[in-house]
Amino acid sequence: MTGGQDGPRRGSAWVSRAGGPAAGQASSRPPADELGDLLAGVARGDHEAYAAVYDRTVGQVLGMVRAVVRDPAQSEEVAQEVLLDVWRSASRFNPELGSAGSWVMTLAHRRAVDRVRSEQKAAERELRAASAAIAYDEVTEAVEARLDRERVRRCLGSLTELQRESVTLAYYGGYTYREVAELLGVAVGTVKTRMRDGLIRLRDCLGVDA
Amino acid sequence: MSGRFRGGDPHTLAAAYAMDAVPEPDRARFERHLAGCESCRQEVRGMREATAALAAASAVQPPAALREAVLRATEQTRQIPPPVIQAGTGWAARSGRGWPGWRPRLAVALAGALACVLAAVAGVAGVVAYRMQNRLDQAQVRDHTVALVLGAPDATMLSAHVRTGGTATVVMSHRERALVFTAADLHVLPSAESYELWLTGPAGSKPAGMVDVSGRGKMVGPMVVSGLSAGDSVRLTVEPASGSTRPTSPPIVVIILTAQQ
Repeated sequence: MTGGQDGPRRGSAWVSRAGGPAAGQASSRPPADELGDLLAGVARGDHEAYAAVYDRTVGQVLGMVRAVVRDPAQSEEVAQEVLLDVWRSASRFNPELGSAGSWVMTLAHRRAVDRVRSEQKAAERELRAASAAIAYDEVTEAVEARLDRERVRRCLGSLTELQRESVTLAYYGGYTYREVAELLGVAVGTVKTRMRDGLIRLRDCLGVDA
Repeated sequence: MSGRFRGGDPHTLAAAYAMDAVPEPDRARFERHLAGCESCRQEVRGMREATAALAAASAVQPPAALREAVLRATEQTRQIPPPVIQAGTGWAARSGRGWPGWRPRLAVALAGALACVLAAVAGVAGVVAYRMQNRLDQAQVRDHTVALVLGAPDATMLSAHVRTGGTATVVMSHRERALVFTAADLHVLPSAESYELWLTGPAGSKPAGMVDVSGRGKMVGPMVVSGLSAGDSVRLTVEPASGSTRPTSPPIVVIILTAQQ
């Protein structure tokens, strides 16, 4: 992650930072709208707007894809597909259904998870289930290594252990809720509830607007 | 352990769904439920804002070369036109302007499925690593049309067995008046012969290109054929290696490009 790109890091402009005291910055409203406006430009074929969208989202897209896919080369490939998806399908973004940032990350996560699942042959899946404990350790480690945002770390820390495990295994691990239930040795219904409670708590803690 | 929602209540799946943790067939069921449940959509939306923040937390510094590669790719990639909203068709239609997975549209599913196939076939669907730049240059025009056909709302996939072995698959869009042809497991021909593709209409057969089977018959294509009309067909024949201007042998597969109902 050293060098390579000159200029400031531009990964995460759109995430609203409730209570994030950015020095000297009067509380300009969440740049989510700004990203939405840019997307509207992209939908009209505006390449400059696209470049701006790219700059604002690439760090997060690549980071999240990498957290899920792990293999760096494959992650880059998936990230490219996602970023081109943003260009192709910008006209499909509907602000009524969520912020621009979450739209982009939804595209990205879907593709990352698809990639992971398509690569896991049935046999591999069985093997994976057999070594559930190991897989879990790896996942948490990989996730925590990348959670460089103090706030998210703190919020994840405010979840119960089962909530946190359910959320991180599903989101970063790319596991289905049934697989998560199996990995954690709890009932499927329990996992669904923990995911829900966990995400609600996370959402409230992060202060993201729905 | 299959089929139905465990616990009965699909509402509880919103969080798992927002994290792409609901596999088929539960996913399709939940999406049908979503279409009629405003509060569920709201909940999914809130969950997605939360997961997006999780993504933000894992941001990394991207390699500089990625930027140029992606920006260049956009220059060569046609955008999906905005969906046309039809009055009185309910949420499902409105959601056509929407989110991945909230659009129960066959074309999208087909496009997705075929995109995977095509990516495997020739590595040209969508953006491909900049390492492949040279090959990409050649593929640009074709790739553009491939994206156009796959992205078309009326994209339809047809598949047929080839009489001499293998499978031929077509994804067509009458709206774009173009189709994408691929084939798999074709019988390997002697070097003096080659497969040729034809677009056949009322006025006869027009050559649509020689089918390159250098990949030892596994997967060929994608080949792009434009200018089609409803009722036309694509045919495959065996011709001399140099190609023919008219088919000189009976077709080994015929796919009729039916009009959309």
